[in-house]
Amino acid sequence: MLATEIEYAIETQDLVKIYKTGKVQAVNGLNLQIKKGEIYALIGANGSGKTTSINMISGALFPTSGTIKVLGHEIPRNRRLITNYIGLAPQDYSIYEDLSLEENVRFFSRLYGMSKGDFEPKFEELLKILRLEEKRKALVKNLSGGMKRRTSIACSLIHSPKIVFFDEATVGVDPVLRSFFWEYFRSLKDKGVTLVITSHVMDEAERADRIGLMRAGKLIAEGTPDELKQKHNAATIEEIFIELSEGEIIDE
Amino acid sequence: MNKKKDKKSDEFSPKNLAFSMRRVMAIALKTINQFRRDRRTLGLLFVVPMAIMLIFGLAFSGEVQNLPVLIDNQDTVFGMMIEENLANDTRVELTAGDYFEGVEQVEKGDYYAVILIPANFTQSILEIQAGNTTQANIYLYLDGTKPTIKGSLLGALRDALDETMGNTGISVVQELAFGGAEFSGLDVGIPAVIAFVLIFLLVIVGVITIIREKIQGTQDRLYATPLRSSERLLGYVIGLLLIAMIMIALVLIFGVFVFGAKVQGNVFLLIFAALLFGLAHVFLAVFLANFAQNELQAIQFAPLTAIPSMALGGMMVPTISLPVWLYPVSFVVPLTYGINLFEGIMLKGWGFAELWVDFLVVGAMCLIFFVLAIITVRNRMRD
Ligand SMILES: Nc1ncnc2c1ncn2[C@@H]1O[C@H](COP(=O)(O)OP(=O)(O)O)[C@@H](O)[C@H]1O
Ligand SMILES: [Mg+2]
Repeated sequence: MLATEIEYAIETQDLVKIYKTGKVQAVNGLNLQIKKGEIYALIGANGSGKTTSINMISGALFPTSGTIKVLGHEIPRNRRLITNYIGLAPQDYSIYEDLSLEENVRFFSRLYGMSKGDFEPKFEELLKILRLEEKRKALVKNLSGGMKRRTSIACSLIHSPKIVFFDEATVGVDPVLRSFFWEYFRSLKDKGVTLVITSHVMDEAERADRIGLMRAGKLIAEGTPDELKQKHNAATIEEIFIELSEGEIIDE
Repeated sequence: MNKKKDKKSDEFSPKNLAFSMRRVMAIALKTINQFRRDRRTLGLLFVVPMAIMLIFGLAFSGEVQNLPVLIDNQDTVFGMMIEENLANDTRVELTAGDYFEGVEQVEKGDYYAVILIPANFTQSILEIQAGNTTQANIYLYLDGTKPTIKGSLLGALRDALDETMGNTGISVVQELAFGGAEFSGLDVGIPAVIAFVLIFLLVIVGVITIIREKIQGTQDRLYATPLRSSERLLGYVIGLLLIAMIMIALVLIFGVFVFGAKVQGNVFLLIFAALLFGLAHVFLAVFLANFAQNELQAIQFAPLTAIPSMALGGMMVPTISLPVWLYPVSFVVPLTYGINLFEGIMLKGWGFAELWVDFLVVGAMCLIFFVLAIITVRNRMRD
C-alpha cells in the first residue's frame, strides 16, 4: 500500500458544496492540506461552512464538485474503506437519546467490527478520560449537554481512528474539562492521530498546531497561531478575523 | 507479503468491507432497545389492541335487543332449526318474508337485515357430511353501518348456527361451511383485530424508529461508519420483526384468554401467517419512512394506512358488500389477505391447502414492499 508515502492525512481541492434545498453555496472552493499527526483548527463564524466541509471529508455528505483525499484515498469513492480509520463527533451530538451511554458506545463499536474484548478496555479508558464513569448506565436523554457531547466523542474514538473530526466539540464544556480535553487531544496527536477541530470560538484556535480561518465557504487565512499573529500584527486570532472581515457583518 | 506484515504500525488494511451480519445485529439490537425504552410506543402496544378488541368484543356481548330482522326460509330441516333458534334469541325480532322485498326494506331502514336460507341448504349440509362439497350458503343482507348492532345480529345468527349444527354433531365443519364470503362479516373479531393491530402498530413503530434516526442526526453519522445501507435495512427489519413477534404474541394472548377466541387450525401456521404478514408491513414501514420528515408525520402514516384498510379490507363491512366499483380495490388492500389468513386458520381450521393463494399474495406483498424499501433506502449518502 501507499500508506507510508502519504504525507497528508487530508487534502481537498476546489471543494464546493451547494445544498439543493437552500441554493446556498455552503462551501466555495476549499483547499485544505492537513498533515498526519496535526491538530488543525477550522475556525469561522456560524454558517461559514465548517460543518459542511467536515461532513464531506468524513464521507457523510456528497460534494457538489472538487476532490477529497483522505489518507491518500479518494472520497466519496473509497469512503467505505476510509470510514474504518476516521471518527466523527458531529456538531449536534447525533447519539441515541433513548439508549444508555454505554449502549451508544457499544453500538458504534459493533459497527466497526470490534469484539467485546477490544471494546471493554477501550471503553473504560474513554470513560476515565472523559469523566463519564458514573454515567455509563444513564440514558442519554437524562444527561447534560456537556455530557452528551462527551458521549458523542467517546463514540467517535472507540475504534481508535487515525483521523478524528470534532465539530464544535468543546462547545458547552466547562473550562477545566476543556483543558483536560486538550491534554487528551495532544496525547492522541503523540500517537500519530490527526485531529480536525472546528469552533466558532476564536480563542479555541490558539491551542491548535495550525489554524484555518474560514468565511463564506473559503479559507481566508491559514498558518500556525504564531505565524498568523505575526503576519497580521495582532495579539489574538479574533483580531485577525475582525481585520480580515472588515466592514462586513458576520451572520450569526 | 511478509514485508507488509512487518511494518504493522502504519499498516492500512482494507477491513470491514464485506457485508457483515454483526453490524446488522447491532442495528437490530439497537432498534429493540430503543423500543423497549419508549414508554409511549410501548403503551400503544398494550392500549391499541385492548381498545380495538373492546370495541369489537363489545359488539358480541349481546347488549342490543329486538333488532328487526326479516327471514326468508326456503329450506326444511336445518333451515327450520336455525330459524327456530333465531326466534328464541332476544337480540332479534324475527319476521318471515320475502328476501328480495326484504332487501329493499333494509335499504329503507325498516329492517336491519334480511336472511335467506336457500331451499337446498339441508341438502348441502348432507352433501358436506357425505364429502361431496364444502359449500353451504346462507345469504345475509344487512345494514353494516352500525358495528354494535351488526355485531349483535351476527352474534345471534352465529349462535343459532352453533346450536343447530351442534345438535347434528358437525360443529367443526360449520365454520368451514358458513364461513364463506357471504358470512365473512360474521367473524369480524379477533382475526381481523390481529391483522389490523399488526398493520397499525408496525407501521407506527417502524416509521418512528427510522425517522428518529433522521431527526437525531444519527443517520448522517452512520454514513461516516462502515455500515452499509443494506445492513441498516436488514437490521431494522430483523429488529422490527422481533417486535412484531411480541405484538403477535400479545394480541393472541388477549384474544384467546380475554376475549375467548378459539384457534381451530394449526397454531404454528397461524404464527407463520402473522410473521409473513408482519414482515410485509415492516418493509412497508421502511419504505414509508422515506416520506416522513418528523415523528408527527410518521404517526399520521398509521391511520393513513389503517383506515382505508379497515374500510376496504373486510373489517367494517365484508368485502363482498362493498359497492361494485370499490370491490376490486379490496384485492389490493393488504388487510384483506391478512383477515383471510387469520380467519381461515383461527375460525375455519383451514390449512395451507385452502389458503395458499392468500399466502402467495402476502408473500408477493413482502417482495414488492421489500424492493420498494431497498430502492429507496439504498445509496443514500446525504446530498
Ligand atoms: N442541510 C442543509 N441544507 C441547506 N443548507 C444548509 C444545510 N446545512 C447547512 N446549510 C447552510 O450552509 C451554510 C454553511 O453551514 P455550516 O456548514 O453548518 O456552517 P458552520 O458549521 O460553519 O456553522 C449555512 O448558510 C447554512 O445555512
Ligand atoms: Mg457547524
